[in-house]
Amino acid sequence: MEFLLEILTEELPATHVKTALEQLDEKFRDEFKSAGIAVQAFETLGACRRLIVRADTVSGQNDSANVVTGPPKSVGVLPDGTFSPAARGFAKAQGVPVESLEIIQTPRGEYMGTRKVSKGKPTQEVLAAIVPAIIASISFPKTMRWREGPFKFSRPIKNILCLCDGKVLPFSLEGLDSNDTTSGHPIYSPQLLKIKSFQDYCDQLKKTKVIVDPDERRKMILGQIEERLASLKARIYPDDDLLERLSYNVEYPCVILGAFPEKYLTLPIEVLATAMREGQKLFSVVKDKKQLPYFLGVADAFKDSKSLIRKGNERVLKARLEDARFFWQQDVKKPLAERAAGLKNVVFQEKLGTYDDKAQRLKKIAGYLSERTDAAKVKKEAIEAAGLCKADLLTEMVKEFPSLQGKMGGLYAKAEGYPAAVYQAIYEHYQPAGLEDDPPSSLTGALVSLADKIDSIVGVVGVGVQASGSSDPFGLRRNAQGVAKIILNKKLSISFPRLIDKVLSIYGDRLSKPAEEVKTTCLDFFAGRLRFIFERQGFRYDHINAALGPGMGDIYDAYLRVKALAALGTSPNFEPFILMAKRINNILKDAPAGKINSELFLEKEERDLHSTFTIISENVKPMIEKGDFARAQSIIFKVQPLLNIFFDKVLVMADDKKVRQNRLGLLQAIRKLLLQVADYSQVVVEGDRTAKPGNAR
Amino acid sequence: MALQDLILKLHAYWAGQGCYLAPTYDLEVGAGTMTPDTFFRVLGRKPWKTAYVQPARRPTDGRYGENPHRVQKHFQYQVIMKPAPGDIQHIYVQSLSSLGIVLQDHDLRFDEDDWESPTIGAWGVGWQVMLDGLEISQFTYFQQAGGIELSPVPVEITYGLERLEMFLEQKDDIYDLDWSKDVTYRDLRLTEEKEFSEYNFNAADTAMLRTFFQACEKEAVSLIGKGLLLPAYDMCLKCSHFFNLLDARGAISVTERVKMIARIRAQVNEIAQRFTASGRGS
Repeated sequence: MEFLLEILTEELPATHVKTALEQLDEKFRDEFKSAGIAVQAFETLGACRRLIVRADTVSGQNDSANVVTGPPKSVGVLPDGTFSPAARGFAKAQGVPVESLEIIQTPRGEYMGTRKVSKGKPTQEVLAAIVPAIIASISFPKTMRWREGPFKFSRPIKNILCLCDGKVLPFSLEGLDSNDTTSGHPIYSPQLLKIKSFQDYCDQLKKTKVIVDPDERRKMILGQIEERLASLKARIYPDDDLLERLSYNVEYPCVILGAFPEKYLTLPIEVLATAMREGQKLFSVVKDKKQLPYFLGVADAFKDSKSLIRKGNERVLKARLEDARFFWQQDVKKPLAERAAGLKNVVFQEKLGTYDDKAQRLKKIAGYLSERTDAAKVKKEAIEAAGLCKADLLTEMVKEFPSLQGKMGGLYAKAEGYPAAVYQAIYEHYQPAGLEDDPPSSLTGALVSLADKIDSIVGVVGVGVQASGSSDPFGLRRNAQGVAKIILNKKLSISFPRLIDKVLSIYGDRLSKPAEEVKTTCLDFFAGRLRFIFERQGFRYDHINAALGPGMGDIYDAYLRVKALAALGTSPNFEPFILMAKRINNILKDAPAGKINSELFLEKEERDLHSTFTIISENVKPMIEKGDFARAQSIIFKVQPLLNIFFDKVLVMADDKKVRQNRLGLLQAIRKLLLQVADYSQVVVEGDRTAKPGNAR
Repeated sequence: MALQDLILKLHAYWAGQGCYLAPTYDLEVGAGTMTPDTFFRVLGRKPWKTAYVQPARRPTDGRYGENPHRVQKHFQYQVIMKPAPGDIQHIYVQSLSSLGIVLQDHDLRFDEDDWESPTIGAWGVGWQVMLDGLEISQFTYFQQAGGIELSPVPVEITYGLERLEMFLEQKDDIYDLDWSKDVTYRDLRLTEEKEFSEYNFNAADTAMLRTFFQACEKEAVSLIGKGLLLPAYDMCLKCSHFFNLLDARGAISVTERVKMIARIRAQVNEIAQRFTASGRGS
């Protein structure tokens, strides 16, 4: 049976089309499955004005047999073999003759019962109930009402077409009765179209300038872009987000090539691209990494036969570029350092003070970071950049194009003649903007970006704001991920607890929460984010738990630890070693602190273990300090054979208290050493499933 | 077609749709939405259709008459229909055709743009309407006004008259527009833009504006107490305008800004509550 659904709407935002189609896909597949309707073909299609589901299914549900049980046999059948009133009542309720009842074996014993074959319903009948419920259940980031009553959707629904094998599947939703009509492109073909089948639907819509398949529209756009640019031998500056958005924003794509006066090419490429993309959703055109004075736009039109669409877009873009040029000329008149003074009047966060306060803190944090990360040679530049990095918030350009914050500061600093280490740092200090964005490429950029993010996190946590569930005020998660990404990328070793102490001391008494609490919350928060990043990189959760077991000290260290664990995970010695670590842990669980007194070692095995352990301990110390956990680990593994023998031959829980404490002390010392590398007891191995997955927060 | 012809055509079109053509409201407002013909009429159940020209003052947009696109006062063509007709989008598109725009030759787009006005506790969902990349209208299904959930849902359509006229006349400079056959936008408005930009950014007495703000706020509270809701609302509009002037003078910090807007909104919400509770909108 062919099923076709089209929800005709007023213009949906591109992101809403995408999420609606994903939800329709999932919900319909689930419903078909749970209703027992086999599906041969299924797809969701659509554009800004329509959401489409099309499926080929079997014509009806399979028949299903149900057993209904009544009273126990002992109650239902009287000693004389006749049926009891209970059995008769049950048969009556089931609508079957009492004689037809069977004895059914159940885990609870023998019961009276009856078998009922419920005839599978025709697919249409099942769908008539499902479809309106599915439509109503689609969720959007933001919804609206447009008629009486509480019903909400992304934008008003105009019509619902729903066909099963060409016949209307009748249902109503919010005052709309499903039918077999639709309409084409509202400008070219607003009249009603009567639809017979999916093929008919696609054909008729194509004639009325609607391409229902997003992939087809995307291909059309790309093909037309190539055609338009062929003679220029240029290409668009790639922008997948924009391409996707546009392919949902139009029903019939028509790519327009336009030009702007060359004088605007003196504007930075960042400004040109932003003015085009954010203002008018235009692609910029580049050749050999140079901006050309052209743009490409995607119109929702059949063609631009009179070039009116091109001319209109050219005029609007020219006005925007003229504005941008004006902003640039105004902005460069005032040096950044002078502008930065104005940050005293811009609030960063009510309790955390102004952006000037922030800039002063950033200078101190950036200075501290450069000393702690072998970056002392760029300390001066990092501090200078930190002091200037927020000044561009007061430029006209950033007020107009907020997404250029940071970048504009960098460009203005460059124009003013600051050294590369300074202007690059300013330019890059918001990076990475998200999970997919690159961290800063320059060392100074990394330091200033880190300072900015840590300052925000500690400050915001310090006044009692926390990220929970889907809410992430002040981008705490994004910032924490950014911190981790920068540290891993630049291989920076920094003690996190100490860094947070430093930032707390810089904040002084500005924070309302007690310093210890802020520190713990921040460290937990970072551990959660780090876990998330490591999992995304494909590390096992138990390895991550083990690596983070010793505590949130140094992020780069934690990375080296988890890498060492992952590398060793395949070695044959790994598993017995892990089991040994767990065994030690178990023995020490409730043990009092012991103390090693080498004179109290009675057996050869424990003396051997002690002396080998002492040597190993000395050997790995420098490795651990250097962060060479892989090597340290492989040496620590050498203690294992001796541990095996120790456990075989020596009774740890000896009767003599002193002997016992001495042995426990030795094991405690070994555990302490292991913990410097990882908490091995967290690793899950075959035959041991006690370790639990961590919470990726 | 001169700007006044555009207004005449829109009047003819929307009168034809059953709209009452309201006279311009006689107070400074930042947008047509704030005028009583919109604000009070969208509350409650009583059907309402209106269209009118409303000057909108946005002091910070002043450019001393030197920018070809930005002015501190512009003209909006405001349409309210309550309840929103089922085919309102089509009705709107037809209004463009009635201006002589052959839509098949253009790219008309409804671009996601949700609107809100924190000052009057209002928000809605809809689009900015783009014609060949130029924003010519704002199209909004009101969801709330004065903090009150609206039912039935009204639609608000706001045409930017100068934008639309620049499109129709194919001109790049707002001051080159023809208001009538003999009078240009420059003749009418250039001096005004220059003088008001100077006033908004430099000359306005901020101490006086603050006093005015407080006095009007106080008066609003007192008038609400007396049940004089329309005059009370006027006082809120005045507060909003004084606030905008203070903002243009750079006299308001970010936190103060939020607080002052919240103060106006509190009065406006109170007015809307009482207006609805008294059954005046039904």
